[in-house]
Amino acid sequence: MVTVEEIEHVSKLMKINVDDHSEYLEKVQTMISYFDILDSAGVESEEISMPEIPIEQLRNDEHIPFGDKLIEKMNHYKGTFVRAPKM
Amino acid sequence: MNLKISALEFIEEAKNGNISVEEFVSTTLERINSVDDKLHAFLSVNDNVIEQAHNIDKKIKSGEKVGDCFGMPISIKDNMCIKDTKTTCASKMLENFVAPYDATVISKLKKQDAIFIGKVNMDEFAMGLTTEFSAFGPSKNPWNIEHVPGGSSGGSAVSVSSYECIASLGSDTGGSVRNPASFCSTVGYKPTYGLISRFGLISYANSIEQIGPLTRTVKDTAFMLNLIAGVDPNDNTTVNNNNENYLENIDSGIEGKKIGIITEMVGDGIDPEVMTATKEAISKLEGLGATCEEVSLEMVKYSVAAYYTITATEAGSNLARYDNLRYGYEMPVEGYEFNSYISKARKKFGPEVTRRMIIGGFVPSAGHAGKYFLKAMKVKSKLTKEINEAFKKFDLLIAPTVPILPFKIGEKIDDPVSLFLVDINTVTANLTGKPAISIPFKIVNGLPIGIQLMANSMNDKMLLQAAHALEKSVTLPEVPI
Repeated sequence: MVTVEEIEHVSKLMKINVDDHSEYLEKVQTMISYFDILDSAGVESEEISMPEIPIEQLRNDEHIPFGDKLIEKMNHYKGTFVRAPKM
Repeated sequence: MNLKISALEFIEEAKNGNISVEEFVSTTLERINSVDDKLHAFLSVNDNVIEQAHNIDKKIKSGEKVGDCFGMPISIKDNMCIKDTKTTCASKMLENFVAPYDATVISKLKKQDAIFIGKVNMDEFAMGLTTEFSAFGPSKNPWNIEHVPGGSSGGSAVSVSSYECIASLGSDTGGSVRNPASFCSTVGYKPTYGLISRFGLISYANSIEQIGPLTRTVKDTAFMLNLIAGVDPNDNTTVNNNNENYLENIDSGIEGKKIGIITEMVGDGIDPEVMTATKEAISKLEGLGATCEEVSLEMVKYSVAAYYTITATEAGSNLARYDNLRYGYEMPVEGYEFNSYISKARKKFGPEVTRRMIIGGFVPSAGHAGKYFLKAMKVKSKLTKEINEAFKKFDLLIAPTVPILPFKIGEKIDDPVSLFLVDINTVTANLTGKPAISIPFKIVNGLPIGIQLMANSMNDKMLLQAAHALEKSVTLPEVPI
């Protein structure tokens, strides 16, 4: 069972400012409870298969110049720098 | 001007000079103006299309080479980038985001003289199956505007079925092309994973999502696939289709094909009308020379839970990029500490996206990953084994695309599990990477029912041939709007 404290903790990790965590409690609990059905799937011994792409099939790791200056499209671009909140 | 023609009919008429592209596009814009207030398929309409259409007409008249689309008006789901055009993902977070480049599918269609008539509505970041989670309000089903059109590519399906464009591109993560296609009576295609480049598609769950066309006919889907499929160096998951021509031999029929009826998709919870339609579709396929018998895929029962666990996890990671510095809206940075600024800015995500991000943080976290995420991945692996085994015996698999009829707007919005289960027949194709198509099959009480066919990976051509055979066996009424 998910608790309000867990939702508070996870939303902080996910960087989402939620005013009232209890607002999300019921639906998130319902969703997570539904996922408990996975316990009866009997897949404990199953291997997880992942697609593999041989490294030689990947494109070359080289810089491809982009036409526009993307930095100028940022919200707080100030001509020579981007303003960001203090760390 | 008849807007109800298929893509291939339009191309033939435009190529031969029987219709003016400018006039067709202009009439299409009038159609959008007259019906979209009711339907809300479009989030933005491209004002420059008349000039583009005029130029294509000039090229046709002067005998210049014209791209294969001949100015065909296409709508694009608003999660694909078109350079210098707003791409909102139906989110307040990206309300003013202007894409700096074209998605690969867009570049390919531009080269073929397609006209992008507008960007269409969707659930925010494609998280939903009704368009009710769009930050800009839901789209309405043109068959009955009190009902949902399906989603998340709901705007795409509405725009095609109500003659606001000839074809559309949507994206399908768990049925987001096929579900609205079924609910609005259009063809909706989810190709083999990797067949179409995802470069320039705003990511939701990269490991399973695909771009796919929504069209009036199966032939139109095959035509679209010819234009947009193939390897893209910007998407390492794309696969080589050896320039397959999906239109060629599309009339091959279905005689001798073996079709498996997935028992878990026609059991509990299916609407009796949908069940009847499915039986009728099976009879028609048998009448066309196919043999049908039941097949069980046990993992289907767990597929929806696995799907939502995996997609929430990938979404949690993908949405981390929305820090309001690289993407986002105007919010001054002064007076904020870094993390509190990002957290506050991200309040602009809608409630469904927020819920899924919370779940996406929870299910793969230390202490919970073994119970949820890893089990979901194991279900995905076992389901893939099961379906691969089924395809040793069968050429195709069949089920209704959605087990229920289009429901009323607001009917399920507060019941997440009931909404989840609407996806039960579509997520298997995504989790296993198989191609699947929804074919319009029946209208019951004024609401559409679609039938889904699935094939093994890279058997897209055979799947389209079968879908074409089934499509030809039915005649459906026109949309009443």
